[in-house]
Order: sequence, then C-alpha cells, then structure tokens
Amino acid sequence: MIDANPILHVGRSIPRADAAEKALGREKFAADHYGENLLWAGVRRAGIPHGRLRSIEADEARRLPGVLAVLTHADVKGSNRQGVIRKDQPVLVDDKIRHCGDALALVVAESRRALTRALSLVGFDHEPLQAVFDPEDALVDSAPRIHEDAADGNVLLAGAVRTGRGAAALDQCDVVAEARFDLPMQEHAYLETEAGRAILNESGVLEIVVSTQTPFRDRAEVAEALGIDAERIRIIAPYCGGAFGGKDGISVQSLLGLAASRFPGRPIKMWWSREESFLSSPKRHAARLYYRLGAMRDGRLHALDVRAYYDTGPYDHLGGVVMALGLEHAGGPYRIANVSLKGWAVYTNNPIGGAFRGFGVPQVTAAMEQMLDRIAEKLELSPLELRLRNAVRQRDKNPVGVTLSTSTGLVDCLKTLETHPAWTTATAWKAAAGPHRMRGVGIACVMHAMGYGPLVPDTANAKIELTPEGRFRIYCGVVDMGQGNISTYLQIAGDILSQDMDHMEPVLPDTEKTLPCGSASASRTTYTFGNALIEAAGLLRQRIIERAAGLLMAPADDKVVLIPGAVRHLPTGRDIPLADLARRLGTAERTATGRFRAPTAKEVVTDDPSLRLHGMAHLLFSYGAHLAGVEIDTLTGRVDVCRYLAVTDCGRLINPQLFEQQIHGGIAQGLGYALYEQFIADKGRILTPDLTTYIIPSALDVPEMMSVAIEQPEHTGPFGLKGAGEIAVDGPLPAVANAVADACGRPFHTFPLTAERVLDSLSREKQDGGYRR
Amino acid sequence: MRPVHLPRTFDQLWDTMKKSPDAALFAGGTDLLVLMRIGRIDPPALICLERIDALKGVSSDDGRVSIGAASTHTELMSDPIVLQHFPVLAKSLRSLGSPHIRNMGTIGGNIMTASPAGDTLPSLYVLDAVLELRGREGVREVPIQSFIKGPGATAIGPGEILTRIFVPEKPRYGLHHYEKVGLRKALACAVLSFTAVLDLADGGRVRAARMAWGSAGPTVVTCPGAEAALVGERLTGGALAAAAERARAAVTPITDVRASTAYRKTLAGNLVLRLADYADRHWEGNDVDGI
Amino acid sequence: MKISFILNGEKTTLEAAPDCRVVDLLREQLQLTGTKEACGSGECGACTIRIDGQTRLSCLLLAAQLEGRIVQTIEGLASGDRLHPVQEAFVAAGAIQCGFCTPGMALTAADLIEHGRAGSVKEIREGISGNLCRCTGYQKIVEAVQLAVEKTGKAPQR
Repeated sequence: MIDANPILHVGRSIPRADAAEKALGREKFAADHYGENLLWAGVRRAGIPHGRLRSIEADEARRLPGVLAVLTHADVKGSNRQGVIRKDQPVLVDDKIRHCGDALALVVAESRRALTRALSLVGFDHEPLQAVFDPEDALVDSAPRIHEDAADGNVLLAGAVRTGRGAAALDQCDVVAEARFDLPMQEHAYLETEAGRAILNESGVLEIVVSTQTPFRDRAEVAEALGIDAERIRIIAPYCGGAFGGKDGISVQSLLGLAASRFPGRPIKMWWSREESFLSSPKRHAARLYYRLGAMRDGRLHALDVRAYYDTGPYDHLGGVVMALGLEHAGGPYRIANVSLKGWAVYTNNPIGGAFRGFGVPQVTAAMEQMLDRIAEKLELSPLELRLRNAVRQRDKNPVGVTLSTSTGLVDCLKTLETHPAWTTATAWKAAAGPHRMRGVGIACVMHAMGYGPLVPDTANAKIELTPEGRFRIYCGVVDMGQGNISTYLQIAGDILSQDMDHMEPVLPDTEKTLPCGSASASRTTYTFGNALIEAAGLLRQRIIERAAGLLMAPADDKVVLIPGAVRHLPTGRDIPLADLARRLGTAERTATGRFRAPTAKEVVTDDPSLRLHGMAHLLFSYGAHLAGVEIDTLTGRVDVCRYLAVTDCGRLINPQLFEQQIHGGIAQGLGYALYEQFIADKGRILTPDLTTYIIPSALDVPEMMSVAIEQPEHTGPFGLKGAGEIAVDGPLPAVANAVADACGRPFHTFPLTAERVLDSLSREKQDGGYRR
Repeated sequence: MRPVHLPRTFDQLWDTMKKSPDAALFAGGTDLLVLMRIGRIDPPALICLERIDALKGVSSDDGRVSIGAASTHTELMSDPIVLQHFPVLAKSLRSLGSPHIRNMGTIGGNIMTASPAGDTLPSLYVLDAVLELRGREGVREVPIQSFIKGPGATAIGPGEILTRIFVPEKPRYGLHHYEKVGLRKALACAVLSFTAVLDLADGGRVRAARMAWGSAGPTVVTCPGAEAALVGERLTGGALAAAAERARAAVTPITDVRASTAYRKTLAGNLVLRLADYADRHWEGNDVDGI
Repeated sequence: MKISFILNGEKTTLEAAPDCRVVDLLREQLQLTGTKEACGSGECGACTIRIDGQTRLSCLLLAAQLEGRIVQTIEGLASGDRLHPVQEAFVAAGAIQCGFCTPGMALTAADLIEHGRAGSVKEIREGISGNLCRCTGYQKIVEAVQLAVEKTGKAPQR
C-alpha cells in the first residue's frame, strides 16, 4: 500500500488524456494509416453457408490492370488455422465453406477501384452441402457436421454444474415457473470497422498496425497461421474506434500479413466496408434458454433448472468461453441451494458467435430476471422484495457454489434503488399515462465476473520509465478501445508519483515496446494492469526517492518526497528537477516493472477440466440493480424508455466520469439489444447487412440515464476498484422486459421487443378479453 | 472516372443532356450515390442540378405556391410560406432521415426516387400537388397522383426534368396531422406513415378530410371511403373506427425486414385513431395548426 | 479536373477525379484523416463536414461539387492548437470515448450552436440525431453541447 502520500488524482473526474487529440481529429486510428505507394487488399467471401470448396477461378481477376495478386490457401505456408482455444478458422478456406462470410481469396491491387472490380471477378466452384441453422437441430445425430474432425458432433463445448439435489428439488417447491427464451444475435456496430496496414520492412519484420484488442495474442496467431517466426512480427494497436469484443481475435491481421509478405517493402491496407464487417465478424451469440425456477412460499428461491443453447456459428471464436460464463451466471446473484445448469455451445452455419461485451451473461440475465418476476407474481411479492430476500451477501455461495469472499454489494444496490425517486414515484408515474399509452416499471439485478477463470492466467506486466526529460512514460499493454483505461493508468501512476497529468505520457500497446498484458476484455483491463502498474510505480517512486536522498546527502529518505516535476527535501526545501535526476540514472535504474496475476476461485465447482479451462468459475464479481420505466404506445406497440436507473457496485471509483461513461454506453447497447437491434439471418444469409436495416439507437432513442455507484472497496483491486466495462449491458433487456410486462400484463420471450411484437401481443391480449395486471 | 457536370442554366442542362444522354441526374445525391456505391447503377456520367437557380426558391403566385424541385428539405422545413400554408409538409420533413440528409436531399429527388416510403409524397398527395416537367421543347404539368406509377417509376419523359412543385393554396385546412412509424426516431425508413389534413367547423365537426398512407402499397395510398366516414362527424370513437377499418382494407403493404403486412395493415387503421387526440381541441374558425 | 475551393480558411486548388467522393479526397489525397467513414451510405454521420456553413455528409458528396464552396472539416474547427469551445466542452464533459464519431459530432454541435439550435435537450438530441455513437449513449455529448453554449454565451434563437 502507498504511504502518507496525498491522493492527487484517484477518485477525481479528471478529463481523459486522449480526449483532446480525438476532439481535434488528430488521433490516428488503424483506419487512418495509409502510406506511399499503398496497395489495397480485399477478400472474396463465400456468400453461401455450407459447401465443399472445389476450385477458385481467379485468372480473369489477375489479368485486370492494377491487380497484383490473387492469393488462396495454396499461398498460406503455416497452419492456415486461427482461434484462441480451438484453432478451427482458416485464413483462407482450404476445405469447406462454413458460413457466408468465409474468406476464399485475397486480392491485392493498386487502387480500391481495381480491388472492387477484381473481387467481383473471382469465382469459385463448390459442392453444396446441407446446412444447419438452429443449435438444437445441430445437436441431432443426423445433422450436417460443421467440423468433421470435432470430437463431439456439432458440440464445441458442453458443460454442466449441479448443486444440492439439482432439478429434483423443484418437486419440493411451493411455486414453479417455467419458460423458454429466445435471444437474438447482436452486432457490435463499432464505428471504426476492421482495419489495418501492414508492411514487411527492410529488417524483415512484418509490421502490422491494426484495430485489435489483443496485439500479443494476434502476433502468436499470425505466426502460427502463416508460418512466420513470431519474433519477426510486430503488432501495433492504436486506440480502437470501438470494439466491444468484436476485435477480440483475428480479423485482418493474417490476411494483411499474407499480402505484405508477398510484396516486401510495400505498405498494404485493408479496411472492411460496413457490409463486410457485418458479414464476417463475430456477433453476440443467439441463445435459446429453457428455465424452470422454483420457490417456497416464504420467498426463498429453492431450485433452478436451466438448459442453455448458444449458437456459436462455424468457429470456436471463444464460443465455449462465452457459454461457460453464461452458465456460471445462469442463476444470477441469488442464493439457490439446488441447481442443475446445462449448457451447449453449438456449431451451426450461421454467422460466427463470438465475444461481445457481456459475453454470454446478457442472455441468461434476460431469462433469470424475468423468471424472478414470474415467481414474484405467483407469490404476490413485489419484484424488489423477492430479490432482496434472495440476493447474495458476502460469504454466501452463489448458484454454482463459489463462496463470495470478495466484495459483494448487491444488497446495497437494491436498497439504494428502493429509496430512489425512480422507484418511489413509480406508482404515481404509471398512473399519469396519457391517451393511448400504458406505463410500467421493471427492475433487474445484474452480476458480472471479472477475469479468465481458474486456469488461464490473468496476468499483466507494467513498465514505467522516468525519461531523460523528467517525464514518466507508462508502457501500456492493454488496448484502449474507448473505455479510457490508458487514461486511468496515467491517473494511477500520476497519483503514486505525485505528478500532474502533463508529466505523464502513455506508450500504446506495441509488441515491440510494451510488455504482454492480456486482452482488453473480461472487465479486467484496469483491475489487472492497474495492480501491476501500482507495483511498478511504487518501485520507481522508492528508487527515485532513495537516489535523490543520496544526491542530497540527506540522512533519512522519508523526508524526501516527489512533487510535480521534481523531488523535494522537506527539511531544507531543496528541489531536484526530475530531468536532472534522470540524467544521473542509468537506463535500467530509470525503469521499473511490475507484474500482477489476478486471484482465482479456490472452490472447484466442476470436475470437467475443459469447463474449468473455459473459465468455470470466477472469484470477483461486480453487481448492480437496474430500473426501467417504459411507456407503450397502444396504437403502434412502440416502447419508449422514459426513465433508466443503474445502481452499481464496482468497488471504489478511480475516475467517476470514466465509470459513468462505461455505464451509459453499456445501458445504450443494452437498450438496443432490448428494443431495436433485430439481427435477421435467413438460412445463414444476413438480411440486415448494414446500418440502414440493422437499427442501433440514435440520440432520440436513448433516454436520460441515471447512474449511482455504491463505493464498497474491493481490497484486491487497484485503489479498491472492480471491473465496470461490461456489467451495464446485462441489465437493460430484462429491466425493460419486466417493465413492459408490468405495463401490459404479459411477459415476452422473444427479443428484441420491436413495436410489432408488442402490438401483436397486445392485440392477442385484447382478444383474450382484457389486460391482466 | 466519370465526368460530373454542374450546369447553371436550363440551356446548359439541355446541352449536357444531349451530349450525355445516359448521364444520371441528381441534386442532393442521397439516393443516387447510395445506389451507385452498392453497384445497383453504374452511369457513365453524372449531372448535378444543385447550381440551377431556377430550381430553387418558394413563392406564392396566383393562388398556388411554387416550390423549386431542388429545394432541400431543410430549406422547406423553415420556409415561411410552407409553414404558413402547409405545415403538414414541414411536419413530414422533420422525420425524414437526419439533419444532414435534410441539408442535402431535395423534394424533387424524393419525388423522382418515388419510393413507396417517400416522406414528402403523402403530403403532396393530400394537398393535390401538381408537378412541372420541363424539357428543351417545352413545359407541362402533371398531378402528382398520375405522375408516380410505382416503386421507382414515374411518368417523366425522355429529356425532361422535374422543375417545380405547385401546391394550391385552397382549400385551406385547419388541422395538419402527420405521424411516421419507424424502427427508431431518426434515420428511419417509414414502416408506415399517416398524413391527414382536415377542415373543421366550429365545434369540431369535419367539413372536409384528405388522408394518405405511406409505405402502405407500391405508391401512396388514399382512401376516399375513410375520408367520407369522417365528414360530418366529430373526431371520436365511432367515426374514427369506421375510417380506420376502411383504411385497413384499402392498404396493400408488403412484408420486408422491417415489418410484416399484418402489422402495417393494423397500423394503417390505428394511426387514424390517433386523431382522437385532437377531439378536445377548441376549434374556432379554420386556424391552421402550426408546428 | 481542377477544383478550387476554400478549405478550413485557405484557398485550395487541386486536381481530382470529379466523381471522387469528398471523404476520400479529404482522407487520401489531402491526408486529412480527421473526417471518418463508418458506413458509406449516409446513415451514421461520421463523415460530417460543413459546406457553406451547413453540415453535409462527405461520403455522399463528389469532388466536383466542392467548386467555389467554403469547406470546413474537423481540422478547421480549432484555431491552431487552441480548441474550439465545443471541443473543450467535449473534453471537459467526458463526451469522448473511442473518439471515432467525435469529429462529425463536434462539427455538428458547433453548427447547432452557431445557428441557435441548441437551446434545449430536445433540440440538441434532434440536432445530433444524424450522428450515431456506439460508446457514449449520447448523454455526455448533450451535456457537452450545453456546456459549450454556456461557454460561448450563445442564446437560443428560437
């Protein structure tokens, strides 16, 4: 811990360090990198969901003026396989086409015009194969096999957790509710589509600037897929123009590497159009969930039975990890003594299911939080009261059996919600609905794990340097995709070193300059790196004070302190400017590193090693309670969210403004998931392939959002912090669904809640003879 | 590489059109350039109409308001003559696209694109707009209802362009109503829209009604039967329900990624019921319901 | 084709294909990468610039159309290194996360304030309704615009 140093920055809403350059339009994203004599690379994609590739016809394309090459799998020297856990995705298809976005051929051209024309001329011959588009259908023995070499049919990963008497305990329950939920795919729709620029430079190093969340892992994957020595690959990761998990994995990297290797010394750029991004990149898994929840008359939840089918599309792409995390959260943050949780991540020929902020948890939260309201109805308890009675507290076991030894602030979140005007004025507010309007209020609890689980190390290495100019350079290994973690690192280090923000400078992730730190994902980007940085900064601080004391010939070094730009000997008031001090130190002395590995859960809740590898179970959780107030237009079915409250336990806040940014952004994406973002694929073909047909919320569609933070410190976190990146996206769909059900008396099971779905339900309601409240 | 011509006068335009008969015409470009990007059309040349002054401006002349075809939606939304006479047109423009699209898109372009979802079209139908078509040889006028033939199809002749839109100042309506249902509140293609202009007597009885539905068929749908159901009645329960039922029968919407036929039909009727919100308004004479 | 126009206050003459999209002209030929592209079809507002004091979508504008116009991109909003009040407000209010929508959003905000259309939350939200943001949920952007109005002392005109 830090000694008696006045806290300068931590806890304050300092404006972000990257904001000014972005406001000026000067910050260069990967998409902003061009080059002299630039070549353009683009991909011919399959456009069919399943087929055996026979041949590729590229001669006509190759002859086009301005086209330098058309490359196929024959040109890939390495394994031609990518993936994080299971390497099953080709750089360029060599055997089977498994989804419409599969890459068949890579065209390299001198202009974008030549590239577009060439792509339209590349053809291919294939043997059509029967395809499968539903995860339950894909589990049937006779279903077409997506990967012939997969061990278990179309199962990527299956997992089960059982506690107590499992589903049998439902027999003991006084009330049981049962429902099936269908959650749709969701598209990230980051504004900066996948982009990169590569060059094989004169030293023989393949340099790739790319919009990615995982530069070190990318390097390893490109090396293996292309058969290049990893030491000869450099990945540079600028600020991403949004990612949300969609850039957690290979997109353009290997393709660019392939093209650049072919044309040494030429810069090559690839930038996916919006339509190509829709077609090729991973989505939030569509999921089908079967829930049975039972409770006792006194309000205690007693038994839970869940079957969860996650449609993972044709490739691993972290699909098993997504399902495992969903399974772990399937029971929500509640005390339930008897659970049977079963999950499958299933291969299909749909678009790829992969990482998306929330990572399997929005789906199960959507289901569990609505099941709670069903039970509340049956028991004639308020939804808030039911949740208060069952919410986990510190030292409880969660539904998969992990003892919650770390900070658990859910009850405080609920109690804060309970006294908030959004809840206390709900009845009056609902009664004030105007003509053709119905109002409802709904709540949902959320929990979200941090990190990678018990086996995959969640580590980060921080390096910090006192530069000869007397500034501090933080070597940030975790990508900033908009969440502001790099600014937070400067704030943390600035605090420990007692420096103003203008004395701090970040080095953005670069495999040649920064140390490996793991992915920008799993709500860990500040927790893990922050702790490593605290160690490094503390070491450097101590060393600076000692050296300065030595130079000053001061008797004891605890009377020497750091101040902005200098070191000061308090008894004499003598200052040594940091630049002067730096010049007297060797390079190694001016640099300090720190390493942190996140703690893991000690309980083993499953004896399935594969499930453990995929993350079951975690130790640290953030919590929250959300409230939505909705107004339904009974003539059109449109649902307007009029009020939204998120009360969150993410430990202590290092920067309240940055925290609020994450909560707002997560809520907006969650509201899109709840109401607007209908991703339609018909037999594997995307019918909503662009931003005209796939509807993300505009400024007129997102309400005023209220965010309250319960600052209960998490002692293992940097300055008491817990992860905040994902949790907010878990709440809106169930909060809104519960609010809509409260308004019209009917639950919903298929999402998003488009106006058409709602109006349809209301008119059926009318036919049944009135609304049930 | 395509030539892009920017004529300033009609004479320059006719000359350019003669030299490049296959050139595509555009003003704002918000429809044409989108189609070109996806390769739906590939014209050898382009002619941009935005610099021809004779295609701009709004004036009142001889009982008709004359609107230049290259007037942008933003210009029309704030034009005092439009606001005074046809607030329904301004209302319908507010929900078109986005502020930037409105700065670029033109009423002429909206008419020529002739999309079933064209946001300006229902208003122009209920206001009985007449279109001026001009070619090198001369000028003719065509009522809008006869001009739009189907999705993307108009009665424009070879060598002609749409130059002005004439809207009669009479009859004068007191109530101007527009509602568009989209999948979000901006940048939304209409799932269904309902436009109504009503002439109300003191006390709220309907003297005359014109109504039109957008995205409800291949072209704008009108329904004299629904209008007749309101004449002589107040804007309440029975009359509105009768009008709504006739509207549902009159529309022929498609099913697409945005919505189903059934939903659109239901909306066509339900949006008529919204007129009940005006029932309690106190009507004095025929004061125009402004924005 | 030779095209002459005023770009960010400077007279500019250059050679360009007449049908070159303005967003490409700016980014590739002039290396002004502040203007972004995120959809290419006018749907997202990331490519917003100003022509003759009005916002336009540069992905739907052709080079030939710039002739004789006054063009402003995000690079022309600040005065050298001194941020425009809108940019200062975006920074102070936390309206920037990934930053990709920011150039288009900031220009749009500046335009709203200049034309007196930033007098209420409703007006501001309508004004930025053509600029999609995936990170912020828009709330801090609205607050930033309100902050900028305070700073510039611009009263609403309506």
